Amino acid sequence: MIETFNLTKTFKTESVETIALRDVNLKVEKGDFMAIMGPSGCGKTTLLNILGTIDDITSGSYAFFGQDISKLNEKQKTELRKRNIGFVFQNFNLIEELSVYENIELPLVYLGWKKKDRTTRVNEVVNQLNISHRKDLFPGQLSGGQQQRVAVARAIIAKPALLLADEPTGNLDSMHGEEVMMLLNDLNKSGTTIIMVTHSQRDASYSRRVVHLFDGQIINENIVGLS
Amino acid sequence: MVGNYFHTGFKVLLRQKGYTLLNIIGLAMGIAVFTFIFLFIQSEIRYDRQWTDHQNIYRITSEYSVDETVENIALTPFRLADDFMKEFPQVESATNMFFTDPSDINDVSSVTYNDVVYEIPDITLSGPNFFKIFDYDFVEGNADLALTKANTMAISSEIAYMIFGDEPAVGKSLQTVVREYTISGVFEKKCNPTHHNFDAVVSVSSLEESSLARLKRDWYWLTCYTYIKINDTTDIDNLDVAFNDFATQKRKEVLQDEEIELDGYFMNKFEPISHVHYNTSLQYDSPTNTDRRYLYIFGIIAAFILLTASINYINLATARSLKRIKEIGVRKVIGATKKQLILQYISESIIITTIAFILALSVVELLMPKFNELVGKELTLVESIFTGGGIYFGILLLLLMLVLAIIGGSFPAFVLTSFKPANVLKGSSLLIQKNGKQVFSAGFLRKFLVTVQYIVSIGLIISTLIIYAQMDFLNSHDLGFEKDNIFVINTPDDTTFEKQVPKFLKTLAKDKSITGVSSAMNVPGYTESKMLFYVGDTLNHNIQTLNYYNVGYNYFELLKASLLKGSFFSSEIYDENYNHYIINEAAAEFLALDSVIGISLSISFDESFREGKIVGVIKNFHFSSLHNEVEPLVFLLNPNNSRYVIVKYRNGQYNEALKHIREVWDSFNEGSFLHYTLLDTKLESLYKGDNNMLSLFIYFAIFVILISSLGLYGLTSYLIQQRTREIGIRRVLGGSEMRILTMLAIVYLRVVLFAGIISSVIVYFLMNSWLNSFAYHIEINVWYFVAGILMTVTIAFITVSIRSFKVVREKPSVSLNYSG
Repeated sequence: MIETFNLTKTFKTESVETIALRDVNLKVEKGDFMAIMGPSGCGKTTLLNILGTIDDITSGSYAFFGQDISKLNEKQKTELRKRNIGFVFQNFNLIEELSVYENIELPLVYLGWKKKDRTTRVNEVVNQLNISHRKDLFPGQLSGGQQQRVAVARAIIAKPALLLADEPTGNLDSMHGEEVMMLLNDLNKSGTTIIMVTHSQRDASYSRRVVHLFDGQIINENIVGLS
Repeated sequence: MVGNYFHTGFKVLLRQKGYTLLNIIGLAMGIAVFTFIFLFIQSEIRYDRQWTDHQNIYRITSEYSVDETVENIALTPFRLADDFMKEFPQVESATNMFFTDPSDINDVSSVTYNDVVYEIPDITLSGPNFFKIFDYDFVEGNADLALTKANTMAISSEIAYMIFGDEPAVGKSLQTVVREYTISGVFEKKCNPTHHNFDAVVSVSSLEESSLARLKRDWYWLTCYTYIKINDTTDIDNLDVAFNDFATQKRKEVLQDEEIELDGYFMNKFEPISHVHYNTSLQYDSPTNTDRRYLYIFGIIAAFILLTASINYINLATARSLKRIKEIGVRKVIGATKKQLILQYISESIIITTIAFILALSVVELLMPKFNELVGKELTLVESIFTGGGIYFGILLLLLMLVLAIIGGSFPAFVLTSFKPANVLKGSSLLIQKNGKQVFSAGFLRKFLVTVQYIVSIGLIISTLIIYAQMDFLNSHDLGFEKDNIFVINTPDDTTFEKQVPKFLKTLAKDKSITGVSSAMNVPGYTESKMLFYVGDTLNHNIQTLNYYNVGYNYFELLKASLLKGSFFSSEIYDENYNHYIINEAAAEFLALDSVIGISLSISFDESFREGKIVGVIKNFHFSSLHNEVEPLVFLLNPNNSRYVIVKYRNGQYNEALKHIREVWDSFNEGSFLHYTLLDTKLESLYKGDNNMLSLFIYFAIFVILISSLGLYGLTSYLIQQRTREIGIRRVLGGSEMRILTMLAIVYLRVVLFAGIISSVIVYFLMNSWLNSFAYHIEINVWYFVAGILMTVTIAFITVSIRSFKVVREKPSVSLNYSG
């Protein structure tokens, strides 16, 4: 499903060049649940952003379902993203001005779904994630755990093949964190491929593979349960 | 999809009530003020364009020069209209209309119908062609026949309603002291404005035969306005030349017959009727005329106010867009295309501008009565937009709304959406970078726009200060007499009363609230006459044209004029056959004589000489507006010619004095209205245009500073949001509240100071030119600029502080956790 070859990313300012990722080779199969771990500044988020097509690579290649991403223009990338990828962020990134319902609905709006279909699908997901009683509230009125459930709902509303999660429990207490991880676990069991960046060993234990990054390079990879 | 944009837009705006309100109010205020100014200018440029073929209608004015002084007067001799009709077939129609002083009355001012006395404020006389040239709508009677017969008058529908109610007016008679007039027509004073200002027109043939004969003969007596309507094929320049040749020849003949030699010229000018309202250079012209320059100034101010409001709008949208970088990032990650984002933001912008426009127009409609009071007009919004080119204004407003919506919506849309979502998600950086280089700084754009806004605000404040100082200077300027606590009473124009004037004055003086009484033909601020004087030895003709006042006893004592040489008038020196004069300093200088007292002055009066001499010189006497240099003025003692009675009352006893005057008036003039003015009010009215401008400037300045402050408040809100964490860190490191407030304010204070300098230069030149329109004016000094800038800096500092104070006072632990 995902394959990178010598993927390299550098950031330039006027005087300094920083290498964020160096020769990353990664293969993710459909149905995988992969955790990316490593110390702060090792390039985890950059890698996730590139995999999510919201950042470009400097050299190497990245293929998504066999398609070379570096050859796509911004519009094509947007198209690919909205049909195939869902995002969950550490700080939720919900739109404060929109209600829970509207936040969750947004990807379908951009996909051009009809209102009736959108309503059906949103109701399905809010029931699935047990947040239907909160759908008229605004993000500011929810606890962190609840906000992250909404973010997850929004991420999976369009039934993406790939779910990218950037420290999804980073801003949550352990109880709420646990809830969110269970949720991701369930999603993975029902077929969604998940790539998750995390600091937490405990979160990583939900995944099937753990990739360790250090200074922009993959230093080892474990299969959970085997190590 | 479009519906969804608007739906979402509404929700977003509702959630951000503060921002939305600020933006809507600021924009609405700007549009409302712009609309008011537009309506004002529109109503001013409409003057006298409503007449059929108005481009063929001209007013004839007079220009003459004697001894190098050139006079321009709106009046002409009575006979011109007849001459045009007789000698110039290219003139379709010509008419004259008598000049009447607005504060003057004549025998028809008080009319009786069914034993009730009514007052008609403004009455003039004109001939049968008047309503052919000026096609007023007649609700009763026939316009063509209205002024053909003697002792008839046409009245306005308001007057008709006042006197006759709903009954028909035509054919009914109104009784005056002298005669009876039959109503020949009722006309509508059209909503479209005109420089004419009358409520009734009496047929010229009602004048007595002898007066009419003299009027028809005279080539030099300026008594009437003359209007002509030419046919389509006539070239006005040719007519001008032909007529002036004709008239010059006729005048020459008159001078030859009377054996008078004049060093000078006399000519007539042709003025398109639609230009009359903007001509303020003529004497004896309509007092409602407007200086064209004021219209330009108002136009520029209107544009600036709109600019300020628009800048504000764009500025707030820009500032807010920086807060929304993250939101844009989220939307992009979720899958929004650039097009979808652009449409989203423009939709929000359209919602704001639409609401602002609706609000602005509602405010205009609501405040219209107040505005009409301020500018002395009767405007309505709907009528202004749907008549006479107003539709272009409507279209302009709509276009403006769209342009603003697009510009205000495009910054977040076009600029921010073109960046990588990952960068956008990271960033609250004000600088936008591409390939490591700074390509665009939103901070700079905002500062530039704020600068422009403050240039306008400071300019208006400084201008207002200067105008205020000048008006104050005019009010306190030494006029050479005291203008306070003086009633000027119009006397009835009949000989019976004239004989009673001495007794009337004596009775008036009896009350203890009255400190002085006098009578006169002329009072400062009212019309003066000019007269040819033969100075010195009458055989050695030194002829001068001088301004000329007829005054009674006690005139100078009552006005507290200062005597420089000689003596005031007294009853002992009065001689019916020998004139006594007092002149002002300017006249003494003008005549350039070594010793003025005792010098003989003679006038040609009713075709005979009347000799006389100068008995006194008074300190300069400003009898007209301070726009003009004080002119030479000659006072003749003439206690028998009393168009006005002047009464000075004790300070604070206005009511007692007026009550007494009424009682005495009623005992002398049964069935006639008491017409009076206060001298200081009358003199103030000479600066009505300037005072109007001052009050409008004050309003404009308040509005602009308010709009700018709203803008600054909004910008500070965003600045604070950006810097909350920084403020927390500074507080932890020991920064005092005041110091941090100053730090936040200083960014914009620098901008305000810079704007102040640019503004000062522009204002200096504009205000200098305005002040030069006064013969007596203040000098612009640096303090006006310092005061204006300081005021603005203070307001800006307060604005920034109000917004910042809460955040700065916040415990650092709270602001440090803020994730703006």
